[in-house]
Amino acid sequence: MRYESQRIAWWFFATSMLLLCLQIVYGFIMGFAHMGYDVLHDVIPFHVARATHTNLLVVWLLCGFMGSAYYIVPEEVGRELYSVRLAKWQLGTLVFVGVVALVGFHFQWWEGRKFLEIPRPLDWLVVVNVLAFLWNLTMTMWKSPRMTTTSCVLYFGLLMAALLYLPGMIPTDNQTVDSYWRWWVVHLWVEGVWELIMGGILAYLLIKLTGVDREVIEKWLYVIVGLTFLSGILGTGHHYYYIGAPRYWLMIGGIFSALEPLAFLGMAIYAIAMARRGGRSHPNRNALAWTIGCSIMSFVGAGFLGFAHTLPQVNLYTHGTLVTAMHGHMAFWGAYAMLVFAIIAYALPQLTGRKLYDTPLAAFAFWTSNIGMVAMTLAFAVAGVAQVYLERRMGLDFLAVQEEIEVHFLGLVLAAALFAVGIGAYVLQFWRYGLPVGEVERAAVTGDAEGPAPDAAAAEAGA
Amino acid sequence: MLSKTAAKRFFVVGTALCFGAFFLLTLDTLARIPAQTNQETMTDAVVRGKHLWDTSNCMGCHTLLGEGAYYAPELTKAYSRRGPDFIAAMLRDPEAMYPGQRRMQNYDFDEGQIEDLVAFLEWVGRMDLNGFPAEPDLGEVSVPVTSTDSSVARRSDRPQVFNQMCIACHALGGQGGAVGPALDGVGGRLDADYIKRWLTDPFAIKPNSLMPKLPLSDATIVELVAFLSQLKD
Ligand code: HEC
Ligand code: HEC
Ligand code: HEM
Ligand code: HEM
Ligand SMILES: [Fe+2]
Repeated sequence: MRYESQRIAWWFFATSMLLLCLQIVYGFIMGFAHMGYDVLHDVIPFHVARATHTNLLVVWLLCGFMGSAYYIVPEEVGRELYSVRLAKWQLGTLVFVGVVALVGFHFQWWEGRKFLEIPRPLDWLVVVNVLAFLWNLTMTMWKSPRMTTTSCVLYFGLLMAALLYLPGMIPTDNQTVDSYWRWWVVHLWVEGVWELIMGGILAYLLIKLTGVDREVIEKWLYVIVGLTFLSGILGTGHHYYYIGAPRYWLMIGGIFSALEPLAFLGMAIYAIAMARRGGRSHPNRNALAWTIGCSIMSFVGAGFLGFAHTLPQVNLYTHGTLVTAMHGHMAFWGAYAMLVFAIIAYALPQLTGRKLYDTPLAAFAFWTSNIGMVAMTLAFAVAGVAQVYLERRMGLDFLAVQEEIEVHFLGLVLAAALFAVGIGAYVLQFWRYGLPVGEVERAAVTGDAEGPAPDAAAAEAGA
Repeated sequence: MLSKTAAKRFFVVGTALCFGAFFLLTLDTLARIPAQTNQETMTDAVVRGKHLWDTSNCMGCHTLLGEGAYYAPELTKAYSRRGPDFIAAMLRDPEAMYPGQRRMQNYDFDEGQIEDLVAFLEWVGRMDLNGFPAEPDLGEVSVPVTSTDSSVARRSDRPQVFNQMCIACHALGGQGGAVGPALDGVGGRLDADYIKRWLTDPFAIKPNSLMPKLPLSDATIVELVAFLSQLKD
């Protein structure tokens, strides 16, 4: 940690972990409901559990991204945050809005549009909150002596994420138009601008962890985010096949979304290549494991499993089945959850001044959660393929099919238990690190050769 | 070797071109959606129904246009699959239509709201969805070819109301729900008069029956009785 104000990141990360635990609880509620044990129906019916599960996911990821930005940007641009007070206030209000929204869901106060369930008045509060966050970053970067590509890509990703929230609020009475704009938020987030955030954070981590020359890492960063937008923007069409939009989307969406895995493949090759190329090894192997793991699992979950159902001929049958849930879990986990885990694994030793990274607990958390998630994905996959086959191809009744596949949800819940143990270990590790009392250091603590004038230092490190 | 400036140019130009194309396609799509979704038939009732659909978060359990949750049936074609009476009965009391099954929220809608939701589902069902949902293409194959005997009526020969309502709980020829007994050979088991009384009011015969009193007109009952009676083994 080189700047006092980076400490604020810890509070965002802690909030993130807390919300993640809550998200998992709601996941289990739905898993049991699918198994036939909808015991909480009168208190927390399925649609309440679902809205809570997915919104918690989005909020904890955003919290993690904000924490990452507050941690990374000061170091990248070489000055303290513009205002730590604003950052604190912003976290407080974000948590407040989040809690109101989640409690509101339990009283069925919502908009009922998947992933954008938060009611309109709260939407505006979220916008104001994110504007405050962006203002803080903008002023930090504006007043700083230098810009780096990494910080710019991260900043641009966050800015676009905020702007793309707005189309989701365009009022309309037509279900198709409603859905059309909803995808501007949902798709252009996860398969567009969030990938910039991902690219920026990964680049930062790779620079720190592998010691490869910044110029090289940032050059490839441009190529990857270029590929992302080249395929991802028109790839939005893969959600427009069957919602009442023109037929040409079958062609456009099919072709461009089929190219989307390239960006994820690029990300994986890039991370692995840089790690190999790195001259010196950073002692925090655990953070490197999460970083490389993120790039690989995002390719599997988003790239490979996304491709599996993105062609219109396949999507005609899999559209809106558990196959989508399979892909959703692995993609969010690989690309974004692991990303937040990676930056936390890297930042905690600096923030708290303790070096717990090569403890057995850290390795256990990594392997258990990943194996658990792969098993969950398999359970969803079997259930989803069976559903597609029986319901969509043989024409059996929906509920009859659901009864057939109940047993796979037993598999899901068991896999999820393993996953939850892994997450528990990670959170325990987080707890053990304790509060952010680490000292602000000018020199390298962890073999990190980048001094206060990063450009010169980076060149030296690359040599 | 690729330079950083070239990489940056690739990113900026690529993004600008793609976004430009996407923007133009969006304008075109928004211009075409009204025709493709029959927007002129979007009555006030439909709009109110859409509002109810959103504020009730039906998408938290169901999919519509393939979007939503995977816990309850896809509703895009619910109107033609089940018909307005069944849907209305379902919304009045979900437990009545699917006793002992996965549970739907009971919303206590009033009759006006139910009409609005039914109108909304009817409007959605008429959209041109480029072929979604696909006809099950393996269905015919799965029915044994030996079933040429007249007892297993083909789907298209059945009364419409049978395919809409009864099939939700009863199977025939191996397809349909499992709430009630399969109706294969029911004409051999029960006589026409009994079936008629049963359909008119199941509770008169069996007070704790799981079969609800369905909204059937007399003409429909006659049609159904004729159909069921000829289902003999
Ligand atoms: C808590 C989950 C849940 C919510 C919320 C929900 N449903 Fe349902 N719905 C179900 C389930 C489960 C079924 C399948 C039948 C059963 O088991 O009750 C169903 C069945 C139906 C059916 C019959 C479909 C068929 O093919 O037989 C209709 C129509 C329907 N729901 C409409 C709605 C509408 C309209 C709303 C919103 C106002 C809604 N549902 C909200 C769970 C839900
Ligand atoms: C909500 C579910 C449900 C619906 C819809 C439904 N039934 Fe039933 N039906 C049942 C159940 C459950 C039974 C068994 C009754 C019992 O023993 O309580 C039954 C029994 C019957 C029987 C007697 C079968 C026998 O072998 O004893 C007939 C005939 C019948 N239903 C016809 C129909 C027809 C025709 C329709 C459509 C108009 C229909 N049912 C719709 C649930 C349903
Ligand atoms: C990190 C990146 C990604 C994440 C987090 C992600 C997540 C999701 C989620 C949550 C859904 C369900 C959305 C909804 O129904 O509201 C979805 C749907 C979909 N995704 Fe992804 N995805 C990612 C990348 C990709 C990629 C790269 C592809 C294609 C190659 C892809 C193809 C699809 C398709 C075709 C659907 C629609 C499924 C359907 O018709 O039901 N996704 N994705
Ligand atoms: C660990 C326990 C978990 C369980 C048991 C679980 C279970 C479920 C279930 C049953 C659904 C609803 C599917 C439906 O509509 O029927 C769901 C939705 C979803 N969950 Fe989880 N989940 C868990 C953890 C997670 C995690 C860690 C993530 C993210 C990384 C996640 C992301 C999602 C997403 C994105 C959806 C929406 C999927 C879609 O609409 O296609 N879940 N989950
Ligand atoms: Fe997408």
